[in-house]
Amino acid sequence: MLKVEDLRFSYSKHGKPVLNGASLELKQGEVGILLGKNGSGKTTLFKNLLGINAPDSGSVTFDGEDLLKMKRRDRARRIAYVPQHIHFGDLSVFDSVLMGRVSYFGMKAGQEDYETVEKILQDMGLQEFASRSAEALSGGEKQKIAIARAMAQEPKLMVFDEPTGNLDIANEQLIIAEAKKLAREKNISILSSLHDFNQALSFGDKFFFMKDGVVKYAGGKEIFTEDIIRDIFDADVQIRSIDGRSVILNTF
Amino acid sequence: MNHMIELEKKHRRNTGIMMAMLVAVIVIGAACLFVGSSNMSFGDALDALLGGGNDAQSRIIWKIRVPRVLAAIIAGAGLSVAGLVMQTTLNNAMASPSTLGVSNAAVFGANLSIIAFAGGFLSTGNNLSSFDVGANPYATSVLAFVFSSLSVLLILGLCKVRSFSPNVVVLSGMAIGSVWTAATTILQFYATDVGLSAAVVWSFGDLGRATYRTDAIMAAVVLVGVVFFVLMAWKYNALLSGEATARTMGVHVEGLRFVSLLLASVITAVCVSFLGVIGFVGVICPHVTKKLLGQDHRVTIPVSCMMGSLLLLLADTLSRSVGNGSALPVGAITSLLGAPFFIAIIFGRKEGHHGC
Repeated sequence: MLKVEDLRFSYSKHGKPVLNGASLELKQGEVGILLGKNGSGKTTLFKNLLGINAPDSGSVTFDGEDLLKMKRRDRARRIAYVPQHIHFGDLSVFDSVLMGRVSYFGMKAGQEDYETVEKILQDMGLQEFASRSAEALSGGEKQKIAIARAMAQEPKLMVFDEPTGNLDIANEQLIIAEAKKLAREKNISILSSLHDFNQALSFGDKFFFMKDGVVKYAGGKEIFTEDIIRDIFDADVQIRSIDGRSVILNTF
Repeated sequence: MNHMIELEKKHRRNTGIMMAMLVAVIVIGAACLFVGSSNMSFGDALDALLGGGNDAQSRIIWKIRVPRVLAAIIAGAGLSVAGLVMQTTLNNAMASPSTLGVSNAAVFGANLSIIAFAGGFLSTGNNLSSFDVGANPYATSVLAFVFSSLSVLLILGLCKVRSFSPNVVVLSGMAIGSVWTAATTILQFYATDVGLSAAVVWSFGDLGRATYRTDAIMAAVVLVGVVFFVLMAWKYNALLSGEATARTMGVHVEGLRFVSLLLASVITAVCVSFLGVIGFVGVICPHVTKKLLGQDHRVTIPVSCMMGSLLLLLADTLSRSVGNGSALPVGAITSLLGAPFFIAIIFGRKEGHHGC
């Protein structure tokens, strides 16, 4: 279980704090979605969890272990990251995925690492791309390879930053389906930011609405109310039920 | 398993290229022993190389040409790989051994030695004959090294405060470098004509200053650096995905950057202190390598080394052949020879590689 408590962070000493005591909890295998305006602290929260930035105060534990004090290598074996903007240099797809194993092999990849990568490529149907340059592939394919690379870390938690931000609708569905499959089949927890409410509803089990650096509302689908969305986003929406599913509509 | 065959093929191709380049370095290095301004015939040179020949011929080969060719191979490899590592760790295509102001500081140190402590220090070489006039043959090199090391430590110390953000490193390197250049200009303003010309000649860069001892020192430093760089190849590859992503994969980015920059700077400082400024090798060779073979550091580190050796060997041989008795400054030749090739490669290959 991931437990974030009272996380505080600002980018400069006397600057405005970006995280103002953010807390959240996510059980193993759950898909948690972070929602909030631009600048509400979603990406900064991720960066603090992932060890890209160190929080000023607060705690992050994973299965009772202190993630903030853990060695980078050990943390990388628990949490993996699928960034919004993905680069691979011009390594082949195979090498790009093998890169995810660096926290295991350190300097030189061994047979076990090759086999792990081979299996991941097979599971995700990426074998045909293996020898191609990852950088030359399309947005959706690159996203899949970034997921494969994160999988090579054999993490218990995967963090996605706006995974569908640059994708067309077909690829959006593909990536969400892929991520959901990981959560269901491999019992990997997922924490993702998303902008689209309806996408969030179909992807997530648990939702965290962020405002001004704190998680203001947390819960299941029931917390999607017109009032809460107005409070968080300063925007009016209408919620309708179609075939028993909630659908959120813009009012303009 | 089709892709495994493809990947295997690629691996074999890269190994083939590395072997071919190694052979080229050895063959061209050997060939360069037969070229020089003394008009020695091929037969005489071969004779001297095999232990025969008269005293003068033997001295030309064993005391002048062999240490010089070794210096070209060692310094070329060192300067080139230092450039590659700086480009990767600073995520800046223009980074090179002179980025941290190492060369500028070395020039200042050498100028100080030659101009301020003139007289016995006029010799620009490390020749033991300088002892005749009462000078320590290494004084100029030692001061050059002391100042370049000081400069590096100052910059890395400053950057530690800002956890080695690449832009901070590059900008402080440029700033400190320009301070050394300004100090050199002021020093030269007060120099005598003789001191000034000696100081300027020093900064030209000349492989003729190499001796077996300087070669051995350079080789030791370059070897330590290259071994470390090769071991870190995967971590450099991780940096290609971006600094933040590399951290999430377990790479200690600041530590890697600090040690890499330190080693790259020390390599540069040692080479420049012994040989003078040899510019552009650290920019041209890594870029040509990346354009031709991609960015995988398992390949680019060894290939950049050999590319640097080849460029410096060819440039030095050319400078010795056309200099009409005295070699032209090798630093100028590396640029004259390398820049057109560099431009041709950059414009000749299709774009699309990230970060090149």
